Amino acid sequence: MSEIAAKAPTRPRRRLIVSRLVPYLLLQALIVIATILGLRLLQPSDPEDFALSQFSLREDGVTRPVTLPHFTSSRYSLADPPLYTGAFTFRSADAGAGWSVYLPRFSNAVEVAVNGVVVLDSRRDANANRPDRNTPQIAVIPASLLRDGSNEITVRLFVWGPLKGFLDTVYVGPDAALRPSYETRTLLFVTLQVAFSAWQSILAVILAIMWLMRRREPVYGVLAVAMVLGVIQAFIPPPVPPAAISRLAAVLLASAPTESALIVAFGVLFFGWRWPRYGMLLFAPGLIVFVVGLIAGPPLPRILFLVLGIPTVGICLFLMACVTATAVVRRQDAASFTIGCAVTIVLTCWVHDMLSVFEIVTNERIFVSRLSYSAMLVAIGAGLTWRFARALNQVDSFAGQLVTRVHEAEERLKASFAREEERARAAALANERTRLMRDLHDGLGGQLVSIVALSERGHEGASITDAARAALKDLRLVIDSMDDIGGDLMLALGSWRERATAQLRPHDIALDWRVATPQGVPLHPELRPWHVIQIVRILDEAVTNAVKHAQARNIAVTIETLDGAQGPYGVISVTDDGCGFARAENGEAAGASQTARGLRNMRSRAARCGAMLDLSSDAQGTQVRLQLPQVFPDSDAAGG
Amino acid sequence: MSEQGETGETVTILLVEDDAPTCWRLQDALVKAGYEVRSAGTLAEARTALAEAAPRVLLTDLRLPDGHGVELIREVRQRFPDTEIMVISALGDEESVISAITVGATGYLLKDAFPTDIATTVRDLVAGHSPISASIARFIVRRTQGAAQSSAGATPGPALNTAKLTPREIDILWGIAKGFSYAEIASHLGLSRQTVPGHIKNIYRKLEVHTRSEAVFEAVQQGLIKL
Repeated sequence: MSEIAAKAPTRPRRRLIVSRLVPYLLLQALIVIATILGLRLLQPSDPEDFALSQFSLREDGVTRPVTLPHFTSSRYSLADPPLYTGAFTFRSADAGAGWSVYLPRFSNAVEVAVNGVVVLDSRRDANANRPDRNTPQIAVIPASLLRDGSNEITVRLFVWGPLKGFLDTVYVGPDAALRPSYETRTLLFVTLQVAFSAWQSILAVILAIMWLMRRREPVYGVLAVAMVLGVIQAFIPPPVPPAAISRLAAVLLASAPTESALIVAFGVLFFGWRWPRYGMLLFAPGLIVFVVGLIAGPPLPRILFLVLGIPTVGICLFLMACVTATAVVRRQDAASFTIGCAVTIVLTCWVHDMLSVFEIVTNERIFVSRLSYSAMLVAIGAGLTWRFARALNQVDSFAGQLVTRVHEAEERLKASFAREEERARAAALANERTRLMRDLHDGLGGQLVSIVALSERGHEGASITDAARAALKDLRLVIDSMDDIGGDLMLALGSWRERATAQLRPHDIALDWRVATPQGVPLHPELRPWHVIQIVRILDEAVTNAVKHAQARNIAVTIETLDGAQGPYGVISVTDDGCGFARAENGEAAGASQTARGLRNMRSRAARCGAMLDLSSDAQGTQVRLQLPQVFPDSDAAGG
Repeated sequence: MSEQGETGETVTILLVEDDAPTCWRLQDALVKAGYEVRSAGTLAEARTALAEAAPRVLLTDLRLPDGHGVELIREVRQRFPDTEIMVISALGDEESVISAITVGATGYLLKDAFPTDIATTVRDLVAGHSPISASIARFIVRRTQGAAQSSAGATPGPALNTAKLTPREIDILWGIAKGFSYAEIASHLGLSRQTVPGHIKNIYRKLEVHTRSEAVFEAVQQGLIKL
């Protein structure tokens, strides 16, 4: 069961891989064929009318006739180089302009003499010394040297191993006939290479900057390093063996395998895979060549380069081809296709060069891998820059989208905020209604009911009047407490003083009002109407008790601010000179129970406001001391 | 016993109140104190009474069966500048009192005030002392603060122009709002006790909006209207 389940997705997946890989491989085969054809077609043509191919070669003391192009054995000594001697015919009648000698391809360096006089020494041209470039040479033969009839030409071929020496057909003829061919080769193998290198250096700078700004993407940095190495390799002239600056030579030799390893690293990173730890092994050949180059003198590094470096390049190219093929199968996108095709071209060129080196195919020893590699790098660099620009565009459009989204979210937030506010307002209104109801129930409601009860029992006069007055007073208190007093309790106490004075005037009781501190009680920004009502009702109760039950003649209200440990707090005291509630208890039972209820009420009201209520009473009078909290409680916790 | 004004004549009062028991109650208290009281239950009756003779004092309720007491106050204020006007209010709330003050009333009387207090209040008024409650004073001073804070007045309650009040007058109002007596206010502010009622009367006068053109002028002065 589980096997079937495991196999089921595998088969379509394999089919998918095959269906994607086969067309890709066919395409790569086509590209290989196209590349080979292209290389054949692009082979620069030479002016065959002026070819000199029959030479006699004196090598190691032995003279033998040879036909150019000709390979000589590899050697590491510049002493006693192979000497090619040939002859050409010059007719002064034909020579309108000067004659030249043109060497399309040789390695590693030549010294050309006509009639025993040296006319060309390629060792002085740094570019011409590079075996990886197919630099041609041309030299005008001074007219004075040329004799009518047969002339002798000798070519010394300097070879520094490990590659074999090579001398292509030599051309001698009118400068006008040879020059175009020379120019074509120069353009293809020298100027184009320089142009690519220049381009590469610019891209290296751009990519390096990208990497510096975006450290998270090492892919740019890797490619930049590869390009920098390429540029160094291209522009630093390799030392000519006699002037053996072997260390520099080692650096230059190490560049090719290192570069190719970097390109593989780039490929892996570019397609979003992790760079495996053992991947560092790829850099080993370059490192070995470099270290050996630093330690040992020539020719060891060059041999090492041939044995180690060039295969590394091939392996890297092959790995890169595998990486891109996998990417093509997995991603099926333009980038992997393009890079894959480019790698195939470079790989074909490398194989072409290898076949050429080992003389497996007849050739003119034209190396194209370096050129194709530079072209590939430039293509990749341009592609990356394009991708970067596209990412920027995406960021732009993303920013645009973000602005829109943020705007939308803001609108939604506003709407929900408005809804929330509406809800909060409704809740506040409901709370306020509940509070008002409770306040009216506590005061006005009870008093009105008591008026109804009194009038039903046929009471006349004073008791109904008192109840009605109390009801009116309470109504005023409720209305008054709803006013915004900005946290200044003194404003509420001011109104209360007025009402209390009016209440006491018929009883002929004086209300002594003492504000001990200038500001009275501290400001309480958190003060709410229901706090004010509780406080005022406590004071009312105290005054009512003093008048009704204690028969007081003088009532004093003292308002002061005291300094406590946590800051200032307000204290309101109501003191009377009545008989106190101890005596009242002995006196009349009804009054006592009423007083007791009043006291309980006062305590619970004080508790709801977070205030402390102290009562002291004796025959000389009563003191009600209300100590306000530092901060009034937010919710009516004890209420209910 | 007859209550007399400065000229020695009997003080006449026109009492406009539509609730009969309240009217009787006030009338009894005032007559007992020696005033000559005429009463009216509606605006029309009040106008008829005014046509006969100008009273020394007008006491009027605001909600009347055939109109609003504010109209009556405005008329009396314009026709009889010497008449003292008081509004009768059940609760003494700022809504009714302030709107009466802005058309020319200089005091208020609570409907349930004790008879002696009713008489005292009217006597003080005739003597030039306008009564003011702590809650009314509080309303006015808070309005002065509100005007200072924001000109875009979204403050609730009746419109009130406090721009003409002097700092001293505002200090006095603060004192009243906090429950201090005239004597205490006078000593705090370094005034003579007798001058405080005069200040309060001035405050009332300054809060009055005399005419429509004056109202527009003041609105322009305060930047409430842009011409």
